[in-house]
Amino acid sequence: MQGENQTTRFTGASKYVLDEELAKIVNITMVLEMPLLLKGEPGTGKTMLAHAIAEALNMRLIVLNVKSSMKLIDTLYQYDTLTRLNDSRFGDSKRDVSNIEEYIKMGKIGQAFVSDGRVVLLIDEIDKADSDFQDDMLDILDQMEFDIIEIDKIIKAKNRPVIVITSNAKKDLSDPFLGRCNFHHIAFPDPDMMRRIIHVHFPDISRDLMDNTINIFYRLREIKGIEKKPATRELINWIRALRTDPDFRVQDLIEGDIPYLGVLFKKSPDYFVAREDVARFRM
Amino acid sequence: MFVDFFYTLKKGGIPVSPTSFLRLQKALSMGLINSLTDLYTAARAILVKSERYFDLYDQVFAHHFEGIEFKAPDPFELSEVARALFEEWLKDPGSLAAALGIHEDDLCKLSPDELLDYFLDRLREQAEEHHGGSKWIGTMGTSPVGHSGYNPGGLRVGGISRGKSAVKVAMERRYRDYSQEGPLTQSQMGEALKRLRNMVPCGPKDRINIRETIYQTVKNAGEIEVVFDRSLQDRLKVILAIDNGGWSMDPYVEIVQTLFNYARSQFKDLKTVFFHNTIYDYLWEDPPRRYKPLAVDELVRLDQETRFFIVGDASMAPYELMATDGSIYIEERSGKPSYERLRFIAETFPYSVWINPKPAEQWPYTHTISIIREMFPMFELNLDGLENAVTYMMRKH
Repeated sequence: MQGENQTTRFTGASKYVLDEELAKIVNITMVLEMPLLLKGEPGTGKTMLAHAIAEALNMRLIVLNVKSSMKLIDTLYQYDTLTRLNDSRFGDSKRDVSNIEEYIKMGKIGQAFVSDGRVVLLIDEIDKADSDFQDDMLDILDQMEFDIIEIDKIIKAKNRPVIVITSNAKKDLSDPFLGRCNFHHIAFPDPDMMRRIIHVHFPDISRDLMDNTINIFYRLREIKGIEKKPATRELINWIRALRTDPDFRVQDLIEGDIPYLGVLFKKSPDYFVAREDVARFRM
Repeated sequence: MFVDFFYTLKKGGIPVSPTSFLRLQKALSMGLINSLTDLYTAARAILVKSERYFDLYDQVFAHHFEGIEFKAPDPFELSEVARALFEEWLKDPGSLAAALGIHEDDLCKLSPDELLDYFLDRLREQAEEHHGGSKWIGTMGTSPVGHSGYNPGGLRVGGISRGKSAVKVAMERRYRDYSQEGPLTQSQMGEALKRLRNMVPCGPKDRINIRETIYQTVKNAGEIEVVFDRSLQDRLKVILAIDNGGWSMDPYVEIVQTLFNYARSQFKDLKTVFFHNTIYDYLWEDPPRRYKPLAVDELVRLDQETRFFIVGDASMAPYELMATDGSIYIEERSGKPSYERLRFIAETFPYSVWINPKPAEQWPYTHTISIIREMFPMFELNLDGLENAVTYMMRKH
């Protein structure tokens, strides 16, 4: 066990700034072999964490984007009846029509189970699905096996995947669900953390630009009446936009001129509120 | 291990389950947790399942483990503490002496320098004693030391920690913003209302009905016959009646507006109507309740399946509800008491609820609330209340 721990310890990845607390939680979760439920504002890097774990531990990442219309069985496997019907009618494929197994396609969870190496399974935005879906899914992830009813075959996980589940919901998920996960809430990064994040993305960024953009970014987040506050992703895109503009000088920011507000505010009412606020600030 | 801690959490109001506690034990026995900081993070990830309880957890953790994580403080730190003690002494000699278990007069005889030395000695003694105790956990945690007081059993946590101790982190209460007292936001409303859906088939026939297709194909002697269906879509009708008049609703205007805003974007078929205090002959489609009246009698013509939400504090003078000419507006008086009007609505729409922004514990004190509750199931206007209301609305009657 000890040896395995050392090889699979997560310490961060090239494009992800990991705080120590989260690293501990990830490691404990991996050793306890439990799913990790992550909540937090959009843009706090919930999804990125799974990517980072996969990168750092050199595992394959399988992403299951949950949709509200999704049924649990779709995430496990799919029995392609139409193709089979078609094959049986026209008989022009190489598949053996009498062998149902040839028409079973693995869903995302199924893929994670049958994969040869250990994988990272990211279940993104679980809150979109209804609570039955969530509870049933956790059952499967608990037992690490499911049954393909059509061929009466039990698929067992070859390796227990590292499971990361994200949720944007303000509301809590159901109790049985929570009971089976470890939980962490990622707070919005503070300016210092943000500095490190920006540095990871733009290693050659000048101090001036970094300081000013981050200051302005946090000030813009404070504006009242904004529906969707700009998050890390917006900040990174904004800096990217500023750096590609040949006419842009850091001095403009200091003078209160904020170009490309649209990169930061994506909803039109938000954009107008922000623009007004910026104009007021300049006076 | 840490059984006390578990029960303190439970008593503090955090829903911790024994299973998760056992899981924490597993983590402990696997040697994953090597310091109090590790314990802080791990126990939180394993035991606490919502950021709403993080703040509470921080408080309980700080309380429980306060004054326990001690390394032998180095002399410099000790003298710092002694100085702090000295300052405390200057402010309030009596209580400090009592805490140290010595007589105040004895200490008064010492010069400031001697006093400082004395404190330093005492502290060194204390530190060694702590050092001797092998485990973090002990009776020490129950000692009532706070930030401002000293206690011979434990030192002030903020004073001597090196770096950032777990207790100190806990004491920062970073998660205060996430605790439950927060206001109801639009997205929270959304969460609660999300499940209010009524799926009916509509739109073009673009879904393959496999069962039917196979059946028809077999019937057709193997000649494929594909059968299509319409997909299911949400076609729920909602009427939202809002009490927007009078000072009694003023405190709740904002919260009701949020609900209203959200409802507008959520439901395709939403009608919002307004009333003041209670419903008489008319509801109004314009907020000032002047230009667009909607006769209550007309409501029968609407679909019975319509979900009827009434939002109001249901607090008024009893005659407004019961008297035949109860309305405070003369032109609205028609001879039927509001009580009958409400009953009519409740009977017309089997799916109707009353949502009250007043906290439930205040309901028994208002007479009209109890009368209205006999007609409509009443729910609080908060997350839980909304969710219960939605559950009620989706139930088959």
